[in-house]
Amino acid sequence: MNQAIVYPERRRFGRYIARSVLMWLFFLPLALIVVVPVLYMISMAFTLEANQMKFPIEWIPNPPTLSNFQKIFVDPQLPIVRWFVNSLLVATVGTAIIVFLSSLSGYAFARLEFPGKGFLFSLLIFSLMIPSAVTLIPAFLLLRDLKLLNTYHAIWWPAAASVTGIFLMRQHFFSIPGELEDAARVDGASRFRIYWQICLPLVRGAMVALFIFAFLGLWNDLFWPLIVLSERAALTLPVGLLVIQQGSYIQRGLAFAGAFIASMPVLIFYAIFQRKIIAGIVTAGLAGR
Amino acid sequence: MATSTLSPSRAAVAQNQRWKQLRKQLPNYLFILPHFFFFSVFLLYPIFRGLQISLYDWKIMLKDQAFIGLANYQALLQDKIFWQTLNNTVYFTVLTVVMNVILALFVATGLKHPFIGSNFLRVLFYAPGILSVSVLGIIGIRVWDTQIGILNYFITTMLGGPRIAWLGNPDMVIPALAVTTVWWTFGFPMLVFIAGMHNIPEPLYEAAKIDGAGPLQTFRHITLPLLMPTMLFVVVTQFIAHMQVFAQPYIITGGGPGNASRSATMYLYETAWKFFRFGYASSISVVLALIMIVVTVILFMLMRRRTEY
Repeated sequence: MNQAIVYPERRRFGRYIARSVLMWLFFLPLALIVVVPVLYMISMAFTLEANQMKFPIEWIPNPPTLSNFQKIFVDPQLPIVRWFVNSLLVATVGTAIIVFLSSLSGYAFARLEFPGKGFLFSLLIFSLMIPSAVTLIPAFLLLRDLKLLNTYHAIWWPAAASVTGIFLMRQHFFSIPGELEDAARVDGASRFRIYWQICLPLVRGAMVALFIFAFLGLWNDLFWPLIVLSERAALTLPVGLLVIQQGSYIQRGLAFAGAFIASMPVLIFYAIFQRKIIAGIVTAGLAGR
Repeated sequence: MATSTLSPSRAAVAQNQRWKQLRKQLPNYLFILPHFFFFSVFLLYPIFRGLQISLYDWKIMLKDQAFIGLANYQALLQDKIFWQTLNNTVYFTVLTVVMNVILALFVATGLKHPFIGSNFLRVLFYAPGILSVSVLGIIGIRVWDTQIGILNYFITTMLGGPRIAWLGNPDMVIPALAVTTVWWTFGFPMLVFIAGMHNIPEPLYEAAKIDGAGPLQTFRHITLPLLMPTMLFVVVTQFIAHMQVFAQPYIITGGGPGNASRSATMYLYETAWKFFRFGYASSISVVLALIMIVVTVILFMLMRRRTEY
């Protein structure tokens, strides 16, 4: 009897193993296609300039070298530390602004009543249809007139206008039971306190999701910073990478060292918090639906 | 009779009450005010301003801009480079979206049910999406390089084939950029499809199995139709994103050979920030936006019809 129970389970387990092997055979080529270019980038960052052009490709640097990094760090024309700090500030402060403003607006559209609410909300939806190409030039000219080009403000405040976060926060504020707010109102709590102390902690998950989504967007963005930042010291990493890669810097190793510096923090962060990040990306990415 | 004497005062009461309610609701605007300020300044106002600028021969250095009506649009209609870049962009977008959707569907189907390491693969397949497009560009240059490229390395050493000038061939350059983009972005639709597939009730599959349907049949008749809302979302967002492609051609090919891989957004960028013709660039942006809005609406209607069961 014991055997009769164990046996099918073992068979199911065997099938699980067989399926896993089959799936890996299937997905291994794709996994390699995904991994190889990234490993190549890492490898080239540690390859001597003289060996960059070798063919067949020298996959493992021989000898491994830090010279590419040294060259970047000493070159006054490539203030990569400054770019790193710029990226960090642009992304963290920008994200904080987005999360705070989105949660405020999302809360209002989910839980508060005011005249014109429906109209204002449809205005936000309408703006989703407008590709950024249209707003690019006027927004640039406006920032130029305000003398805000080449400052962090040129990235923070246009980012504050983004609407996807509002949809995400609104959805999650909807799911809070109304009794909680009523109880707080009876106790004499102000509107802002109800939002801040009661509702906000309940949507922490959505805020984390939005934070991840917005941070990655700002950290990686190239197009907008390329337009509003032109002074060397004001650049963010993605724009700085173009400076390294283009222009008079034909040194190939430097571009890879720069790419390494720009991607390692996010890749390590991703590896550690992969579960949260993936969940966050799905939640936040679907919010515009 | 009594009502007629009462009604004016009742109306007054009602009005008073409405006024009271409004006064109570007024502070609620404070919640949306901060976002709405930036939204108006950096999104709403620029939309109308962009339309206006497109009617001027706008030069950045001038104090007074010359109004030229629809001349920019007339010039645009005859602008061969614009039409070519638009053509390139549409070709690139269709290729990328189709490949992305097919690959993502395929991978999602495989990863839907857990197996040893399935979660690892999911994380791995999304990983390229974490990279900045600048990094993608730097890697992409070397993937496709004719002399020392990764792809030609495998073709020459493992398959004994010739070196292929991927990016030097006008017919091959856009597919190459599309493949690069798929490598970078297919993880997101994959995640979305997996989530969508988990929302399909399992009894449907069990019923199909009892009826003797094979895996291909269940995919065609259950998974695919029930995934349509998710598909709509993926196709529309992917379409909007890839129609605005800029960095891949800008970094990897510089728009070449000739104009073979120049995208519309790249042309817009160069018109404005290389040649400082902001009026003309604005008219490009307006036309681009119109095309995208029209196609989005069409996509919506097409897919809506197919999702209604």
